[in-house]
Amino acid sequence: MSERSQTVPTPEGEYFESSRFAGLSFLLGLVSVITLVLCAVGAFVNPHQLSYSWLFAFAFFFTLCAGCFFWTIVHHATDAEWTVVVRRQLENIAVLLAVLALLFVPILLLRHHLYAWMDIPRGHEAALDSKRAYLNFTFFVVRAIVFLGSFIVASQLLRCLSVRQDTDGNPRFTIWMRRVSFASLPMFAFCLTFGAFDWLMSLNYRWFSTMFGVYIFAGAAGSSMSLLVLVITALRQAGYLKDVVTVEHYHIMGKWMFAFCIFWAYIGFGQYMLIWYANIPEETQFFLARNTQSWWVLSMLLVIGRFFGPFAILLLRSIKKNPHQLSIVAGWILFMQLLDMYLIVLPALHGTGVHASIWDLLSLIAVGATLGFVYLRLVPRSSLFPVRDPRLIESLKLVN
Amino acid sequence: MMKTPFGHTVYAMGAEYPSAAALYEAAKRVRDAGFRRWDVYSPFPIHGMDEAMGLGKSWLSGWVLFGGVSGLLTAALVEFGPSWGLYRLDVHGKPWNFWTVPAFFPIMFELTVLFGAFASFFAWLGMNGLPRWYHPMFNWERFSRVTNDGFFLAIEARDPRFTETGVRELLEQTGGQHITIVHED
Repeated sequence: MSERSQTVPTPEGEYFESSRFAGLSFLLGLVSVITLVLCAVGAFVNPHQLSYSWLFAFAFFFTLCAGCFFWTIVHHATDAEWTVVVRRQLENIAVLLAVLALLFVPILLLRHHLYAWMDIPRGHEAALDSKRAYLNFTFFVVRAIVFLGSFIVASQLLRCLSVRQDTDGNPRFTIWMRRVSFASLPMFAFCLTFGAFDWLMSLNYRWFSTMFGVYIFAGAAGSSMSLLVLVITALRQAGYLKDVVTVEHYHIMGKWMFAFCIFWAYIGFGQYMLIWYANIPEETQFFLARNTQSWWVLSMLLVIGRFFGPFAILLLRSIKKNPHQLSIVAGWILFMQLLDMYLIVLPALHGTGVHASIWDLLSLIAVGATLGFVYLRLVPRSSLFPVRDPRLIESLKLVN
Repeated sequence: MMKTPFGHTVYAMGAEYPSAAALYEAAKRVRDAGFRRWDVYSPFPIHGMDEAMGLGKSWLSGWVLFGGVSGLLTAALVEFGPSWGLYRLDVHGKPWNFWTVPAFFPIMFELTVLFGAFASFFAWLGMNGLPRWYHPMFNWERFSRVTNDGFFLAIEARDPRFTETGVRELLEQTGGQHITIVHED
């Protein structure tokens, strides 16, 4: 019984005119090619630094895309209404995981710089030998293929079914997408957790934390919701989705950002406090590297900037209902996710203190521009929202 | 204070509506007529009614914030106080200065939530004028249907715009049935 008058969208949906953004697309493509070539040069000039920089860039964008995949499957599994109007963009970002799988290849090529456990022969370290059943190169590659493969298959399938529903609005597709999502939920938890163990935690094979997978997930979910806010706002700035996405949708997205800001802090602190309090050297080494030297400043910035700041700001309802202000907070949270990944990867290389490198920036631009370029090619291929979704009208009329 | 010819104090003028939708539409009319002291009664919550009644933002959240902040400060006081000199304990060789704060976070978090929950519950009771033994609306016999299938709207006599003829006319226009004066006592 909303008082808001609703204009039912055109049955054809809204289409992104790629011709309007040909310049941007060309620019991203150009930047992508140049930085990728530069990174290839870097792999020969300074392979040690570049491999860590590349892993940092990969981890940042992987968490964002995996997070968008998570929101898509949660949407279908919970039969959510509000997400319908923004779901296509979640699907578009989630299928970028296929590009990320290609960008994972350099990590495999540069593996000897990243993962010390690959080079230590059997019999040198008892602690490592006891982990050999899991930490061996063959199994590592098999797992990477399984993890990235599952993500690619599921995200492609979901987008494909969703786009096909645009033509005839058959509710059968909704049922299928729900089935794919239910199968994907445990797969997602499994792949993200062990992916985080393999690619990030095993940078230091002596360290372990059972919370690590959840920690990565908490960051991924919150920052991908922030990314969605930014993408939707950008599309609205360009004149799309004007009558489709309302302040009510922003309010819900803001609430999710808020919820995952708290969840990230809860998990992050849960991981930190148990290790800090028990004070066992094999566990504390991870935080010892990150809480001392110049890394301490960045760690504190993360604690304040990823939790305390956004928590206080997002408490206000007026911020969550203001697309412009919410976008600023969303941008900040993305920046904090970047810092989070930086603090996970780079101290493994520069244990003595912050050592900013041009390769960090170039890797980040290379991965980001490549994904941005593919995204711009992907968006015009389908309507900007699922026009024939059975619950579209409910989503348009959202009040909360 | 308005009195009936028999000397009863008037609490409100009430009307019954056949459906939730009718009550919802009536609420919008009463809101637009500028009344401030009035309420609707229904067997179940009606979605969007707060907007139809023009209630605006509830300030319960302000009380919750107050409760949460006092919980946080209480926890900080009872933890840092002893740790900084009242009763120092050496626990695992942890420092006594500010940097022992991670050990205090769980209590800070829990007292923030506890005090916030208390504040929300008691402020909610207070804002609703609860607990109370009796409500004047129960003086109206038909009103007992409110927990079953009755939808009611009552404009209170303390509203400055309240006049017997004016309110009766408005309630009639909105489709109200069984319009009646409800006694205070």
